[in-house]
Amino acid sequence: MSSIEDIAGLLEPAFPAHLYVHVPFCRMKCSYCDFYSVPIGNKDQIDVVLRGIDAELRQWGALRLPGVVETLYVGGGTPTVIGPGALQVVDSVRNGMPLRAGADITVEANPDSVTGELMYVFAMGGVTRVSLGVQSFDEKVIGVLGRVHTPEEAVSAAETIVAAGMDLSVDLMCGIPGQSLESWRETLDAAIGTGAAHVSVYPLTLEEGTPLEVAVSTGLVEPVDPDAAADMMMLAEDVLAAAGIERYEVANYARPGHESLHNLAYWTGDHYIGIGPAAHGMVDAATARSAGLAEALAEDTVRVRFGNAPDIDEWLFGGRRTVEQLTAAEAMREDVMLGLRLVRGVDATAVAAAGLDATLEDLARLELVERVGEGGPHARWRTTAKGWLLGNEVFGRVWSPDE
Amino acid sequence: MTDPALIRNFSIIAHIDHGKSTLADRVLELTHTVDGRDMKEQVLDSMDIERERGITIKAQAVRVMFDAEDGQTYQLNLIDTPGHVDFTYEVSRSLQACEGALLVVDAGQGVEAQTVANAQLAMNANLEVIPLINKIDLPQADVERVKHEIEEALAIPADEAILTSGKTGEGVREALESVVKRVPAPQGDPDAPLSALIFDSYFDAYRGVVALIRVIDGRIAKDLKIKMMATGVVTDVEEVGVRRPANKPVPELGVGEVGYLITGLKDPALVRVGDTVTLAKHGTEAPLPGYREVKPMVFTGVFPIDGDQYPDLRDALDKLRLNDAALIYEPESSHALGFGYRVGFLGLLHMEVIKERLEREFGLDLLATAPSVEYHVYKANGESVVVHSPQDMPEPGTIERIEEPYLRATILVPPDHVGAVMELAEGRRATFKDMQYLSKTTVEMHYEIPLGELIMDFFDQLKSRTRGYASLDYEYIGYRASALVKLDILLAGKVVDALSFIVHKDKAYPRGRVLTEKLRAIIPRQFFEVPIQAAVGSRIVARETVKAKRKDVLAKCYGGDITRKRKLLEKQKAGKKRMKAVGNVEVPQEAFMAILKVDE
Ligand SMILES: Nc1nc2c(ncn2[C@@H]2O[C@H](COP(=O)(O)OP(=O)(O)OP(=O)(O)O)[C@@H](O)[C@H]2O)c(=O)[nH]1
Ligand code: SF4
Ligand SMILES: [Mg+2]
Repeated sequence: MSSIEDIAGLLEPAFPAHLYVHVPFCRMKCSYCDFYSVPIGNKDQIDVVLRGIDAELRQWGALRLPGVVETLYVGGGTPTVIGPGALQVVDSVRNGMPLRAGADITVEANPDSVTGELMYVFAMGGVTRVSLGVQSFDEKVIGVLGRVHTPEEAVSAAETIVAAGMDLSVDLMCGIPGQSLESWRETLDAAIGTGAAHVSVYPLTLEEGTPLEVAVSTGLVEPVDPDAAADMMMLAEDVLAAAGIERYEVANYARPGHESLHNLAYWTGDHYIGIGPAAHGMVDAATARSAGLAEALAEDTVRVRFGNAPDIDEWLFGGRRTVEQLTAAEAMREDVMLGLRLVRGVDATAVAAAGLDATLEDLARLELVERVGEGGPHARWRTTAKGWLLGNEVFGRVWSPDE
Repeated sequence: MTDPALIRNFSIIAHIDHGKSTLADRVLELTHTVDGRDMKEQVLDSMDIERERGITIKAQAVRVMFDAEDGQTYQLNLIDTPGHVDFTYEVSRSLQACEGALLVVDAGQGVEAQTVANAQLAMNANLEVIPLINKIDLPQADVERVKHEIEEALAIPADEAILTSGKTGEGVREALESVVKRVPAPQGDPDAPLSALIFDSYFDAYRGVVALIRVIDGRIAKDLKIKMMATGVVTDVEEVGVRRPANKPVPELGVGEVGYLITGLKDPALVRVGDTVTLAKHGTEAPLPGYREVKPMVFTGVFPIDGDQYPDLRDALDKLRLNDAALIYEPESSHALGFGYRVGFLGLLHMEVIKERLEREFGLDLLATAPSVEYHVYKANGESVVVHSPQDMPEPGTIERIEEPYLRATILVPPDHVGAVMELAEGRRATFKDMQYLSKTTVEMHYEIPLGELIMDFFDQLKSRTRGYASLDYEYIGYRASALVKLDILLAGKVVDALSFIVHKDKAYPRGRVLTEKLRAIIPRQFFEVPIQAAVGSRIVARETVKAKRKDVLAKCYGGDITRKRKLLEKQKAGKKRMKAVGNVEVPQEAFMAILKVDE
């Protein structure tokens, strides 16, 4: 949770402790994807992007702010499709930024671009975790998602990562057209079988304009019964917990001690910067001023969120797509909204300070949140089992409570 | 003052979309009435909503000067009329100000229902009717077939029909020559006391009521003292002028001339359409025939989504009424929807247009309930009540009988679609009267049908079941007793008054079933299970359930893009705002219209 000084806008500029770098390439576009990525093209384009990332990192480094980078996440797209280039990104960070020795470094990967050689290079280069985009171990389901790997490739990629001595995170999706509860159970079992220390589970959302959304809305593909998707989410929680992989966030599960510190930063009001096209960051007002993030910051801004242009050329010319300024009241509400994504929930005092007591009491009446630890020193609000399934209601009402 | 011998007054009439306004454009160009740079398509359709929908709603009078072959310059007063059946009264009014009519028939579509209806109006008013076969530039134009239809269906000789294209301008000069030759010059006595017909009016915020008039006898000029015969109001003439198409003042209007009159009166009730204007002293004794009052046919509840807008809604209705005498309204309150108005309209298009204008021109956010008709309820105790809203229907036990409005419907359709029409009509309690072949290609069918059935998506169904070929016209014929009941809809166990409707007792079950199914699809899942029931009195005739919502989560939040996540939440919330909370059930607006689309 962000500090009182932060909320009050009293912080000195400081280097955000978390860094996200976006590598915008994929082998092929998946049918449900609306993240920013382009099909991998010629070597020149890759070089241009890598140089751009390097330059953007150095710009931040040149600010010479106090503080060090604690976690680095190289995401995408699919960073592994550029092979060792992904490690070049890590090196650029080392050269351009104050990266703490032994920092948590995660690289995202897809099964079809994981090789023993590459994983060896990663491990040697200080990568501590690989987040593997498996989504499903069911061939039919993988087909619906328009992905290019086979279940066998996914299993062997996972083995390769573990063998290289890195932490493995397996990313899964449920609520996919054609996916049965049985198929989902098998996928969960297979994920556990890889020895993953971390699993993420997202229900599929049909984003407008994606091929899968069009196929569903034109009746080509059967839509998914939301009840079936709810059952899958509940099953995931049970099956993973039985294997010792516990939920710590609405969509993330880990063996104790293996939670992703980088992910946690997003939900706890920690500052982070995003490098590369379509990458996002969040810093306090003082840091935003030093970094020249906005022409004019309003008096009452305490927090600035920014997003790079989701287009390689625009980004190379320094294009920012969004700069959003939040007031103290908004930042406090946002912290509660994000904090409710965590199993541990949020401090009751933070809820009170954000003026959200009545809203959370309403949500409690709907059994979407509960208040725990009453009487003790730390009363907290946290999301219930029902609330995990109806996250939009919880987060939406907390963010704009004037129902 | 123009010599009446050099004046011709005519209306352009047709079925909807046959090209009246486009022809008027060509006339304005040919006579240099509108500058090239001010010209645009259907220039006389001046309301935003007319331009957007590409239809004429309000008749427009305009004066043009035409240099004819005979070397004379004629003053032509033309009135472009709407083709849609809701606005037929505009056509009848316009015809009263004319001696002739150009009957436009689309060369591809041929004779359709309003072609027949409007031609009959013109002939009954003893007007010279000149047929025009228009859009001859179209590849599917079939002039011979259309000529045949005109002769057979309308008994108008078609060998002299003029072939025109509003697109290319072909034949337009010929049409005007024909007007000059065939339409009689106005007859009137210049020395008699003033007698002028108000055939239309509109409200101008600065000038008050502007009346459009046609002078029959005498003359009208600035500063004369005049009297409105029906209302008895005496006033001064502030200005008279002509429409070209903008208002242009002239010193006076004489026999046969068409123009506008401004008196400074602000109250539309005092300057009534259909009234006769005469001199205050020594005026005429005999008023002109005038018009039958237009009566609204369908009624719907109109409610502001945000209750705070209720006073604004009233002001907006008051303002629109200044220009639309056919609009009537009375306050209505609903348990489900709060305060609003029950508004009467001429038909469904009129209703749509008014709702859209209220929202657009006055910034209101409105919810309309399903349209209903005016029922006459005769109670056992001898009382009778007029019911415009299902929620005002008296208790069934107290009712002796209910009467509902009936129409005589005329449907024109190609012979191979007759079966489809019969099938539709049968499902709608329509009584078949007769049918005749107008030509080899067109059959005219007559039905008597309750208006309440006609407003339930009948027209769209007719179009879709006949692949767009059928056209429909109707006229009111009177009230008849029917076995009607009120069907209530219950959400979560409570009657939602705004969803109740009146239905024939034999249809209560099928309509209730279809409607509950529809509502189940429309009402989103809520935190709790929502039973939807249809009931007649205490008897439940249909039941569906909206299951409780279990899952509502957003996708992966990529690389900490919280901004986007919040935007999506805000969008979702905005979507909810557009719903109406009925008790604790969130009901989307379209639910209140769902009943309209129940083809069981
Ligand atoms: N090809 C062709 N199209 C035409 C012609 N005249 C009109 N149209 C088109 O037909 C449509 C209807 O034309 P309008 O002039 O608005 O018809 P209208 O009879 O005034 O319609 P309402 O006033 O709504 O009854 C428009 O899309 C015109 O562009 C013509 O001579 N040829
Ligand atoms: S791999 Fe990921 S980023 Fe690439 S197309 Fe598929 S879903 Fe999108
Ligand atoms: Mg028109």
